[in-house]
Amino acid sequence: MASFVGAVAVADLVKSTLGPKGMDKILQSMSRGQEVTITNDGATILKSIYVDNPAAKVLVDISKVQDDEVGDGTTSVVVFAGELLREAELLVNQKVHPMTIIAGYRDACDCARGVLESGAFNNQSDVEAFRQDLLNIAKTTLSSKILTVDKEHFANLAVDAIMRLKGSGNLEAIHIIKKTGGTLHESFLDEGFILDKKIGVGQPKRIENARILVANTPMDTDKIKIYGARVRVDSMAKVAEIEAAEKDKMRAKVRSIIDHGINCFVNRQLIYNLPEEMFADAGVMAIEHADFDGIERLALVLGGEIVSTFDNPSEVKLGSCKLIEEIMIGEDRLIHFSGVALGEACTIVLRGASTHILDEAERSLHDALCVLKETVADARVVYGGGWPEIRMAKAVEELASRTPGKKALAMEAFARALRALPATICDNAGLDSAEIVANLKAAHGADSSSRMGVDVVRGEAGDMKELGIFESFRVRQQVLLSGTEASEIILRVDDLIKCAPRQRG
Amino acid sequence: MPPKHKNELYKESSRKKDVRTSNIEAAKAVADAVRTSLGPRGMDKMVAAANGEVIITNDGATILQKMTVTQPAAKMLVELSKSQDVVAGDGTTSVVVICGALLKKCQELLEKGVHPTIISDAFFKAANKACEILEGIAIPVNLEDREALLRAATTSLSSKVVSQYSSLLSPMAVDAVLKVMDPARPNLLDLRDIKVVSKVGGTIDDSEMVDGMVFDQKAAKSAGGPTRMEDAKVGLIQFQISPPKTDIENNVIVSDYNQMDRVYKEERNYILAVVKKIKASGCNVLLIQKSILRDAVTDLALHYLAKAKIMVVRDIERDEIELISKTLGCLPIAHVDNMKPEKLGSAALVEEVEVGKGRVVKITGIANKGRTATVLLRGSNKLVLEEADRSLHDALCVIRCLVNKRFLIAGGSSPEVQVSMQLGHWSKTLQGMESVCVRAFSEALEVVPYTLAENAGLNPINIVTELRRMHAAGEKYSGINVKKGTITNMLEENVVQPLLVTTSAITLATECVRMILKIDDIVPVR
Repeated sequence: MASFVGAVAVADLVKSTLGPKGMDKILQSMSRGQEVTITNDGATILKSIYVDNPAAKVLVDISKVQDDEVGDGTTSVVVFAGELLREAELLVNQKVHPMTIIAGYRDACDCARGVLESGAFNNQSDVEAFRQDLLNIAKTTLSSKILTVDKEHFANLAVDAIMRLKGSGNLEAIHIIKKTGGTLHESFLDEGFILDKKIGVGQPKRIENARILVANTPMDTDKIKIYGARVRVDSMAKVAEIEAAEKDKMRAKVRSIIDHGINCFVNRQLIYNLPEEMFADAGVMAIEHADFDGIERLALVLGGEIVSTFDNPSEVKLGSCKLIEEIMIGEDRLIHFSGVALGEACTIVLRGASTHILDEAERSLHDALCVLKETVADARVVYGGGWPEIRMAKAVEELASRTPGKKALAMEAFARALRALPATICDNAGLDSAEIVANLKAAHGADSSSRMGVDVVRGEAGDMKELGIFESFRVRQQVLLSGTEASEIILRVDDLIKCAPRQRG
Repeated sequence: MPPKHKNELYKESSRKKDVRTSNIEAAKAVADAVRTSLGPRGMDKMVAAANGEVIITNDGATILQKMTVTQPAAKMLVELSKSQDVVAGDGTTSVVVICGALLKKCQELLEKGVHPTIISDAFFKAANKACEILEGIAIPVNLEDREALLRAATTSLSSKVVSQYSSLLSPMAVDAVLKVMDPARPNLLDLRDIKVVSKVGGTIDDSEMVDGMVFDQKAAKSAGGPTRMEDAKVGLIQFQISPPKTDIENNVIVSDYNQMDRVYKEERNYILAVVKKIKASGCNVLLIQKSILRDAVTDLALHYLAKAKIMVVRDIERDEIELISKTLGCLPIAHVDNMKPEKLGSAALVEEVEVGKGRVVKITGIANKGRTATVLLRGSNKLVLEEADRSLHDALCVIRCLVNKRFLIAGGSSPEVQVSMQLGHWSKTLQGMESVCVRAFSEALEVVPYTLAENAGLNPINIVTELRRMHAAGEKYSGINVKKGTITNMLEENVVQPLLVTTSAITLATECVRMILKIDDIVPVR
């Protein structure tokens, strides 16, 4: 049963980060540098920890999948799977066969899913209401993160950014820049694109109606890529000639670039002094050494393509924007592209006291953006604060009462595991979880359309609609399905066999 | 209806408690380490680096940066001081001290069983309220008002080693910032446009602000080139005056002695041709960028340049190019064929002057000079000089803060006492845990006057209680006059500081405390 122990241990590790009053963890790197990360994000914690236990690895994996699929609920899914396993262990000890448990879990999961679907509602047709939904979802997601005090601000930021995407769901177009200094509240959303680079010396610092060529080409030297290539000459004059020829080649290249009719040139690689000067003479703004990520995103938002040969100016798609200028954030100068071709693009500039805060803020914001993206794609929304879990638990229990055989035991266990989620939220907030969950259960039992969930702020059961605690249907569904599946996989295991290491040739 | 806090007691498991306590303890230890350097009578620290280097400083950010800190929470305090440095440039010690005091209060609250997130939320509200209060007592300042700026710079310098020279350094800081500021776009102020050159020798008194430009490098005169040039035409070149070198590997094959001679001759001709072209452009002062690929300038080239009466300054770093071209109004030239008169900058005088033991090159009387400034710092030894550099940087930052946010507040810990008092009043209007937490926050802020008095050798309890009394009586500008050892009106004493320094110290410290509070575990990872 080592597999249970490992998995439950992992679940317990992240348990305390769940909910709006969940705590953070310091991840201290054991390798050199002793780097420190502070986070509340389940996926980040699990990604980083060192796991030896194979069952625990399964949980780490599902949290990763959850992160990739929907971006949020990474802690919930692990906690849920952990609870399912904890319950399963008890059943196994009562001599219930794992296969029976699995069958019970499956039926329970189907039932729960149906209830979840029936409880979801959709406001997509009504723009105002939909935006309000999105805002609420963003706020719910952010409330458990570092951004919680400014959640109003950041929820607006995230929703604005997502709305700009117009449903394309291309998070690439949202660029996040982190700059230390200032407070989180000073973070802002900027239309357009900001590149953390410098403009070359003596070149225009401000360009209107820019035509931009985005390139990935060596602007230092065009080297022959054959190893050991060399020229043999017998006089210094010839060396000078070759040098001149090389320079000429570079000049020709620069000229052919300028011939594209551009006034801004962005290169991924270095731009040496000579081409830089030529660009300056031609009044072209040249930006060197933009990193790979920056270049791809820039090409995307400017509507250009990344070029590396310059022979056919007519065939190259140039990027364009209304205005390029230098701006100052904190102590740094950055280049701002506004009025870009891809109207969806925007940049979120995060400010904060330290890199730790900024990193965590970025992760939190990313989660919020992912969830919003999912919601835009699938507009169904459910209430949060443990509402879906309580509701599902109730339905599963009803199903169990109608089911003959040992399977019913497993279903009851499933319902208990579902209720463990709101209980954990209460525990983390220092509330009396048994009392509150019992109250919730009673409220749902009395009225099947009850909207009661955990109100962590006031420490009691509260109306989720009035409190504006909403969650994306997709996230909840994914938590339910992956959690059940993961526990099933672990349950099926009865032995652990160590394989011989791969033969190395 | 007020929110009910039912059963809201937080019982920590022993492990979580250990982690949190150890975090808070570690952070407090860091804060205590820099505490004594706060204020005009604050002490300096001698920082001994592992490689034997010694730094003497009063600057909190510098001390913390050099400290070897491994505990994660302690690291956060180091980061905190760094970001205060970025935002305001000054108050790097205060921010850490405030953070330490807040953490101490947190510990007390946690022992009472208050949930960390409640403390965190309440502190956030208190910090916002504190900023409001500060804005309420701030005095708007006009950038034309040089006196006010000077006072702020002097206050910042008063706690440093170089405080007795503040009458010299603060006008320097003010003038330098005003010089580089573009009145049309004041928010684009970049302190990197101010070049500070430090030279050992003489005293700080000999420091000066140069109307023009100073290079740390000597003029190259091994070949007997000129070291003084009037009516200079300055060329900033990025190409090299040395034998040709191709990007592709090359071998010059020499089969007999004659050929060798020819190679030498060709090399000479090549360099001579380059020098001639330079001369033809009318350039008589050359600034040569360092090159890693080949010699920027060879001895032979120096010889020809000397003959052509061209003054040479070499080893210019690539990052300096932008500043130089901005200052001199010249454009960098990357190829000898581009040596054109219009790319040169002109100056009335370029000369090498002796400064203490070393020499620097000074360019004065620059025609159409850009928005940059140069300060030449002098000092009797390296340690003093470095500290003077840091102090000047702080003063520059203070002025920049004022440009960004044009408000001044009184110094001498009077704003902290005022905020503490008003928060105390405010807390009485709140309910439940929140009130307790805000109360704790307001008490924590008193650490600043307390430490200030302590460092000045005064009786902290007497001073702080007296301060409270004065503020309660409505004297909102009363602060500690460290020099006289009494309490006086800070505005009359001309002790002022930018609003931004204090507000950012409070908000940043609070943000950091909240982050530390929320941590319940340290997980070792790969």
